[in-house]
Amino acid sequence: MFSYNNKFYKPDSILKKLLKMDWLLLFLVLIVCVIGVGALYSAGDGSLNPWATNHIYKIILGFLIIFILSQFNINFIMNFSVVLYVFCILCLIYVIYFGVGDVKRWINLKYFFFQPSELAKISIILLLAKFFTHYPNNSKNFLYNIFAIFLVLTPGFLIINQPDLGTGSMLILLGFAVIFVNGLSWNIISSIVLVSLISLPIIWQNLLEYQKYRILVFLNPELDTLGKGYQIMQSKIAIGSGGIFGKGFLTGSQSRLDFLPEKHTDFVFTLISEEMGFVGSMLVLILYFFINIILIREFLKEENVTNKILIFGVSFLIFLYIFFNIGMVTGLIPVVGAPLPFISNGGTSLITIFIGLGIIQSIRVSRNV
Amino acid sequence: MKNLILKKNIERRFFLLSALKGISFGVLSWRLFDLQVIENKKYDKLSRNNQFNFSLVVPERGEIYDRKGRVLAANRDAFSLYIKSSQNLNLKKILDKLLLITNLNQEDVKIFENRYKNLKKKNINVFITDNLSQRDISKIAVRLHEFPEVNFLMTKKRVYPQGTITSHLIGYTGKLTERDLKKNKNLINFSNLRIGKYGLEKFFDNQLRGEFGRRREEVNARGKIITSNLYEKPNPGKNLNLSIDLNIQSYALTRLQNLNSKKSKFNEPETGSVVVMNVNTGELVCCVSSPNFNPNIFTRGVKSKEWKLLINNKKAPLLNRAVSGLYPPGSTIKMAVALAALESGVIGYDKKFFCNGVKEYGDMKFHCWHKYGHGNINLSQAIERSCDVFFYELGLKVGIEKIGLMLRKLGLDANINLELNELRRGLVPSKKWKLDVKGTRWTPGETINASIGQGYMLSNPIELVTMVSRIANSELSIEPTLLSGKAKKFAKLDINKNHLNYIKKAMSDVVNSEMGTAYKSKLKIKNIKMAGKTGTVQVVRISEDEREKGIIKNKDREWKKRDHALFVGYAPLEKPKYAICVIVEHGGSGSTIAAPIAKDVMEKLLV
Repeated sequence: MFSYNNKFYKPDSILKKLLKMDWLLLFLVLIVCVIGVGALYSAGDGSLNPWATNHIYKIILGFLIIFILSQFNINFIMNFSVVLYVFCILCLIYVIYFGVGDVKRWINLKYFFFQPSELAKISIILLLAKFFTHYPNNSKNFLYNIFAIFLVLTPGFLIINQPDLGTGSMLILLGFAVIFVNGLSWNIISSIVLVSLISLPIIWQNLLEYQKYRILVFLNPELDTLGKGYQIMQSKIAIGSGGIFGKGFLTGSQSRLDFLPEKHTDFVFTLISEEMGFVGSMLVLILYFFINIILIREFLKEENVTNKILIFGVSFLIFLYIFFNIGMVTGLIPVVGAPLPFISNGGTSLITIFIGLGIIQSIRVSRNV
Repeated sequence: MKNLILKKNIERRFFLLSALKGISFGVLSWRLFDLQVIENKKYDKLSRNNQFNFSLVVPERGEIYDRKGRVLAANRDAFSLYIKSSQNLNLKKILDKLLLITNLNQEDVKIFENRYKNLKKKNINVFITDNLSQRDISKIAVRLHEFPEVNFLMTKKRVYPQGTITSHLIGYTGKLTERDLKKNKNLINFSNLRIGKYGLEKFFDNQLRGEFGRRREEVNARGKIITSNLYEKPNPGKNLNLSIDLNIQSYALTRLQNLNSKKSKFNEPETGSVVVMNVNTGELVCCVSSPNFNPNIFTRGVKSKEWKLLINNKKAPLLNRAVSGLYPPGSTIKMAVALAALESGVIGYDKKFFCNGVKEYGDMKFHCWHKYGHGNINLSQAIERSCDVFFYELGLKVGIEKIGLMLRKLGLDANINLELNELRRGLVPSKKWKLDVKGTRWTPGETINASIGQGYMLSNPIELVTMVSRIANSELSIEPTLLSGKAKKFAKLDINKNHLNYIKKAMSDVVNSEMGTAYKSKLKIKNIKMAGKTGTVQVVRISEDEREKGIIKNKDREWKKRDHALFVGYAPLEKPKYAICVIVEHGGSGSTIAAPIAKDVMEKLLV
């Protein structure tokens, strides 16, 4: 751990490291987490069970992960990027045969269910950052970029195959964004866009019925209010009926009467919007916005290209979660199944985001100011 | 240096994507603003639709009382059985199980299955029946855990405590049908609603029914009711207070029906009608029709077997003879013919005609009921003894048009606004009517028949009692009503008082003079006398051959061919209060069959 090249290197004490962390960011995250606990308390019909308490434990675990990761130098963490990536790919193959859940997404680890597709998102950021640092200045090279794209598409398609269109497409989007930021030439971009436009019909044909249907129903949810469009419709009703100030804490009729599907996970934002109204939902959105602003500031402060890519990757991952989730519950994009960061009572996804924040803290702490 | 370019490049790309992020946040904010602020009302409504189910609350139907406040139609607590619909319900299994432990009506089950099939909403209570006995209810209640889909609701059930006595008058209620809905656009399609189908229940259905209330139920996504409360109170229906006197009604009915059981072997109730009307107010004190039916069987859902029995019965027990039974009025209209003659000045009080028992007109013979004739008699005597020949002569002199005019003035074939839909208007023929309907010209022979109320002429008991009331009242065109205390303004009668008094005197002689046809039926009350007129209506024509062989006695004829017995009258003589009309279908002679009934009912009324 301390085998650093600089022989004058003297590691900081734990306390000093802790002080170097971005406490404003952590504070904002904590506020969002508290909102999440409140929402889950309401989702449990005004009871800490079954979700709110569980959420608190996960948040504590998450912050612990941040603190632990921040103690390690980022370069040390990066050493594991390839291992982590391979591990994720193996897990993704494993779930094809031994996965649990109706869509075989999870690995049963006795105490909790582990979802490798979520961890794969972090691993793709780490791997790409590592790849780009090892082979810099090749961003205009076609084969170089094709390999990077291949690294993204491998887990991406494994996940889409599960089938989990939401997580898979989010991972691919994330990977592409990282490659794009690294400086993918516009020529390659335009040729990729062209290829994907041509292959779109083929992809459409290979989509499963439920995925096609989800997209079709998304285009006109009113067509099928009792079937697949039901979730979107009920979610929109709940959000819309919240009005400016909401129906009040614990009094959202849509969630109380179980019209909201999965109100503790993917549709938790709907519950907040219904009970707290436009004011509440905007508060959550603004908090997320500030978290993003802080991450942008972090990005600009950072000199190291690898770290810049890492910060961008994590911030874009958080953004994708937010956009997919809120976009979905408000009916802007198809029902893809994405949790809301820090609020949804997810398992692996929540930890994944905390790992991402931990990496950013590690970068910050490792920085020699 | 190269690293710096790389960094610049990355930062440029980063800003590009950050701008994209910013736009995304903007889009999300706008979307939220659109949903929560701009379109809030729309979604709020949808949310309420989700949250609440409104169900109708049936108002309690108005009750019906007689003039002394005795209950004729009321509501009793009952339980309704419901099944909650859901997608995969093994309906057959549940119903079989229910049928195993209870006496569910098969027809109810069939109707229920149909209703269930045509459901548009899910998760609602579907009505099966409200005809469960107390035993069945407790049987199901004990085993309710076996039937999670089944539940009870308290409802009201219509009962008619007086049963058959007021059956035709009160009528009954029945289930709402498609046809009812088509006929009346204001009706709410409610599976458990019962509406008036007959009698006063039908005529006053709107008032009796009241207005629906609404119950608001909070329902979750699976259709489970979380809370339930009354949102709008139902408005109970208005009560009806009838002019009918239950005592008189039941007395008249038993008097009419038991007539035969005393004297002959027939135990079947006599068919006919007794109607009593207050000559000053028009209130009907009794309005009896026989044979009758038990309206309570309609409440529990009439079985098809019972219904067939009622429908196929030759004596038509469902027919309200008091208002829709049309009979030739016979001699009971002789007063009207006489009044027409007096009013038109055709004859004076003392004009006499000779009756030898038969009137010959052309090659036709018109017989008097008295084979050997009444001799030389005047108008008053002709009414008293009901001489037919006298009226044949009179009719020919007055003419059918004037007779018709007088009859209509007295209420026959006239607009009577009685509170019953079953009222059928009588028929007073005229020359124009003959030409229009039969296509041939009116003949004097038909005038002769019409002047003793035979031939085409038809009338119902209500019209006849109205006629007598107007004569007895002498001042106003009284109209009948079934409601008590309904202040009504009547038009002037506009008939010469002297003529009326003359006719009334003659009607008194019918009952009180030894020569009168109803002398045996004079009232046995001190100082109170009745006036009236008998009528015996031929149902089949008696040919000349039969006359020569000797007319077969009424008793020996087939029931359908026997004469109708009629009596109309009023009492007391000096200050008339009640008018009465008694008709006994195929009962025989008016003086021996109908008049005694009238006498008994009047005595009951006036004592």
